[in-house]
Amino acid sequence: MAESLILIEHDRQQVKRPSLHAIALARQLGGEYALLLLGHGLEGIAASLVSYGASAVVVADDPALAEPLADRYAKVVAEAVRKGGAKTILGTSSTFSKDVLPRAAALLDAPMVTDVVAIEEMDGSISYRRPINAGSMFATVKVEGDRRILTVRATAFEPPAANAVPCPIKRFDFDAASLPNGIQFISREERRSDRPDLTEARVVVSGGRPLKDKETFERLVGGLADALGGAIGATRAAVDAGMAPNDYQIGQTGKIVAPELYIALGISGAIQHLAGIKDSRVIVAINKDPDAPIFQMATYALVGDLYEIVPQLIESIRRA
Amino acid sequence: MKILVSFKSVPDPNDVTIAGAAVSTPKSVINPFDEIAIEEALRIRERGEATEIVGVTIGAPAVDEQIRAALAMGVDCAIRIDDSRALDPYAVARILSAVVQKEAPHVVIMGKQAVDDDSNQVGQMLAGLLGWPQATFVSKIEFLDNKTRARCTRETDAGLEVVEVNLPAIITTDLRLNEPRYVSLPGLIKARRKPIEALTCDQLGVTVRPLTTVLSIARPPKRAAGTRVESVEELITKLKQEAKVL
Amino acid sequence: MTDTNNATREVFGNIAPWMRVVFFIMIAASIAVLVWQVVARVWLWRKGQRGGFERDWRVWGRRLVEYALAQKRVHRKSLGAFLHLLLFSGFVVLTIGTILLGIAYDGPYNFHHGWYYLFYELTLDVFGVAFIVGCLLAMYRRAFQRKPSLGHNRSDWWLLALLLSLGITGFVVEALRIHYTQVQPDVAHWSIVGWLIDVALLRGIDLGSAQTMHLAAWWLHAILVAVFFATIPVNRFLHVITGPLNIAGRPERPMGALVALKMEEVEQTGRTGVHKVADFNRQQLLSLDSCMECGRCEDACPATATGKPLSPKAVVIDLRNLMSADGEDVHRTIHDETLWACTMCQACVQECPVLIGQVDLISDMRRDLIGEGKLSGPPAKALKQIGSQSNPYGRSNSERLAWAEGLEVPTAESNPSFEYLLWVGCAASFDPRAQKVARATAQLLKDAGVNFAVLGKEESCTGDPARRIGDEFLFQQRARTNVETLTRRDVKKIVTPCPHCYNTLKNEYPQFGGQYQVQHHSTLLSELVGTGRLSDGNSDGEPITLHDPCYLARVNGEVDATRAVIGAPNDAQYREMPRCGKKTFCCGAGGGRMWFEEAPSQRVSVLRAQEALATGARTLATACPFCLNMMTDGMAGVPGGENVKVLDIAELLLSRRPPSSSSAVF
Repeated sequence: MAESLILIEHDRQQVKRPSLHAIALARQLGGEYALLLLGHGLEGIAASLVSYGASAVVVADDPALAEPLADRYAKVVAEAVRKGGAKTILGTSSTFSKDVLPRAAALLDAPMVTDVVAIEEMDGSISYRRPINAGSMFATVKVEGDRRILTVRATAFEPPAANAVPCPIKRFDFDAASLPNGIQFISREERRSDRPDLTEARVVVSGGRPLKDKETFERLVGGLADALGGAIGATRAAVDAGMAPNDYQIGQTGKIVAPELYIALGISGAIQHLAGIKDSRVIVAINKDPDAPIFQMATYALVGDLYEIVPQLIESIRRA
Repeated sequence: MKILVSFKSVPDPNDVTIAGAAVSTPKSVINPFDEIAIEEALRIRERGEATEIVGVTIGAPAVDEQIRAALAMGVDCAIRIDDSRALDPYAVARILSAVVQKEAPHVVIMGKQAVDDDSNQVGQMLAGLLGWPQATFVSKIEFLDNKTRARCTRETDAGLEVVEVNLPAIITTDLRLNEPRYVSLPGLIKARRKPIEALTCDQLGVTVRPLTTVLSIARPPKRAAGTRVESVEELITKLKQEAKVL
Repeated sequence: MTDTNNATREVFGNIAPWMRVVFFIMIAASIAVLVWQVVARVWLWRKGQRGGFERDWRVWGRRLVEYALAQKRVHRKSLGAFLHLLLFSGFVVLTIGTILLGIAYDGPYNFHHGWYYLFYELTLDVFGVAFIVGCLLAMYRRAFQRKPSLGHNRSDWWLLALLLSLGITGFVVEALRIHYTQVQPDVAHWSIVGWLIDVALLRGIDLGSAQTMHLAAWWLHAILVAVFFATIPVNRFLHVITGPLNIAGRPERPMGALVALKMEEVEQTGRTGVHKVADFNRQQLLSLDSCMECGRCEDACPATATGKPLSPKAVVIDLRNLMSADGEDVHRTIHDETLWACTMCQACVQECPVLIGQVDLISDMRRDLIGEGKLSGPPAKALKQIGSQSNPYGRSNSERLAWAEGLEVPTAESNPSFEYLLWVGCAASFDPRAQKVARATAQLLKDAGVNFAVLGKEESCTGDPARRIGDEFLFQQRARTNVETLTRRDVKKIVTPCPHCYNTLKNEYPQFGGQYQVQHHSTLLSELVGTGRLSDGNSDGEPITLHDPCYLARVNGEVDATRAVIGAPNDAQYREMPRCGKKTFCCGAGGGRMWFEEAPSQRVSVLRAQEALATGARTLATACPFCLNMMTDGMAGVPGGENVKVLDIAELLLSRRPPSSSSAVF
């Protein structure tokens, strides 16, 4: 009877690694934890989960669960929780877990805390720290009740090592025929890029007009973004000049981003662009013009020719 | 078709201060995602697919200002559940569930999350309580089969997903669904003539108690003034050691 | 030699009395038809809201002399202006001549003889020729220059043909009269054209035939006159009646001031602007009928020039056509994008020879769009931010003095006995590029020892973008708040680097009880330079030109101070752009468009940058933070533009001055 049940996410081929980060929180909370997997044709994926120190990998495998339809998944999760007796249900914040877990919480009559970044223990009770107001503040909350559901912010917890003694894989049986039919999956269009989504990436590298053309833009801005595992952004000027597509545009009339690290290459810092980046935690600006307005907002300013600096930067990051 | 739009009055994101275990603001606005929901309901009606748009919100009489803004955008009438407690998403979902049973809409549209709380739970919980289908983080809505189903495009981490839900259903809106129209003061004046119904939870027949309590709120450390670096090496060192972002 | 004292001619000589009766009846009938049609138009104008007319008859008089008689707005170096001068003068003289003849004929004393008669004949002939030449030039221009903005309606050719025929038949009649009445040459050649025609073409014709031909020609001419009168309202000629009416009746108001809406009005009518044509006031409806489709407004419009779906002429004509369609929603004909495309630069208003206020028409329709919630996207966000943060940039108002860091700028708090209030404006407060203008201005004022102060956090948006975009009530909210602050701080003199703030504070705040002596910083700086309190240094010898901000040069008529500040009169390297001074060309940011998206191929700023670049200048000076922003952007968008420095006049002045004893923390 595991105390915690962690919902693991996969893409039908393999586990989505960020969803494992919830295990770190389960370990902090103490007690046994089981991993829950829903879907169809899950043998390989289930097998890859046995060494994360769980008491069991619980698998609900059925054609009815081939697609992550929230009404079906929430029902199965709720049943698995009731049968297994878990008190804390965890997941990593993602569009999948946000779609399924709140519904499951309602079915279980339990409160839910989203985007936990840390916990505090005081006098035997646990409180959870989470971002509010678009991350400009952090709230510490506690919840009452027999059960609770938590999602963790992946970047706040370490990924677990797969070095434990393998645990058993248990099949979870449920009545597939009694699952709701209110939602039908139609199609999916996977995003073309390997790069993270601009508005959610931890690192964003942006380029401005001095990047001359599409190839140079991809080489320097893209190159640096890839070295850092980040997303690419562009100023309106760069988009207008055809260097980057429209959905890369950051600024007042484009996207608003607030990454941990924002690197502005050859961007002067027109006020419309600055409006799109002002909540970034760290801003690095590289520009030839020492009077460029962006330097007023930059955490770190490097004045110089980006054509010399960026290749050096990419090289140094790759080496490190 | 009757649409119920649920919206929340939130502090203006640009003007918030911490007051004890809560945030305070001189100015409140309609939650931006809910504004998108309202705008979508208006557009659905402008297409001729809806006949009535009812708004609902929970709060003290002060939120009437945001209700007026919603009415000024074009919502026909609104319900305010009179409750000034600090509620949590589950409590909100339970109250809304009672409102839905009273109003019997064909579809409920709301923002995916409130920008003050950022929980992203209410819509899904409401769907669970009602046993209704849900479509979350939607960036496009189309009604099919004589408005018995809705085809929704959802924004997920992996890309775009298209699902169809049987009506009645809960739909939560994402940023890219539309751009809400501007409401000017003249529009607000015109909206004064539209009715707002105030109901207490008792009158609605529902009793809820929030299960979540906020103990404290704090800001992360402020951004320090910028520094000039002279070389790539220096930049990387600082990013690693000082900013701890690499 | 004929006794010149007796030189005269018989009026109606060949016309039998019964024919004269028929003639008068015909003319009376045609005038009745004319009047009836005009009354029908007046009835349409009456459907509009009451009022809007200028009441001071002295203003009428002045305006009629300036614009209707002296044709101030028509004159320029162009074929169109020249031919209009011929047509206008010809028609006026011929009309006066006919009236005089009528008075002489019908009145108590026949003065139509002697030297008066001879000069009369010569004058009318000369102006008759002028009139005909005017018609021919107009036909030539219409056929060969084919400017689209001129408008090519069927009625235009018809009108020109009619006028030409009138002119020609007039001379033919004269020639025939001279012939069959055997006027003596020394008198006849005063009617020079008729006489020449007689000599050249009519020599061989016997008197009897000539008299018959005269009668026929006379009737032809008479019928054409009747047709002319009766058809005035259906072609461009109507402007001869409606033009002067509008010129006189247009309300006297500063060009840059829009009319204030009243809250009570909105509550009563539920209307915030113009939804159907009858929502305009009567003067505005009259103005629609005074348009003669000359197309000058369209030629001057920056939106039209950049391919946007706006032509001020088309707006006026569409509205005019809608006057006959009762109660129809104007927005079905005039689309939202048309209205949003306007930069409110007032070039169209300035060009219009009959003083139509196109910007007011557009503004009234924008107000309706706002009232209906038809604005979304970046401009909506800017307005929301004005409402919640008191500035369109969405920055916290507490950051208002960030630009002044290190400069020790006195505030109204720290220096309550200030003489000048430096109104910084939102752009110079928050836009990093424009903040340098604020710093430069403050530094110069300090160096000159001017006793000034800034409001700091107490300053908030003048509301100008809200008013231009159409949210009149957000504007009024801002205006009242600011007037309260300015009153509390006992402000008398204001100086500001932003022409939009300048225009609003000076021309529009009086609508809310705020009366101040407002100066643009160019005026104060040029005074300081002129009186020696600021030395103006030397230019760098590089070619330099100036972009006149619309709201400074055109709307408020100020062109000299900016030039004085940058030493243009003494700078051999200073050159003017073709469209300069009051005829300046917009940068594209006005009318709230600073916050609208503009397609790259339709950038007004790029067009203007090309014009600046063509002067060979390496420095572009301007005097407005929006122009600064747009022209910097525009220059970056044209090849060769990267080498042009775009600077505010304050920055230029500061950079040229020898290093002074005061430390310029810049």
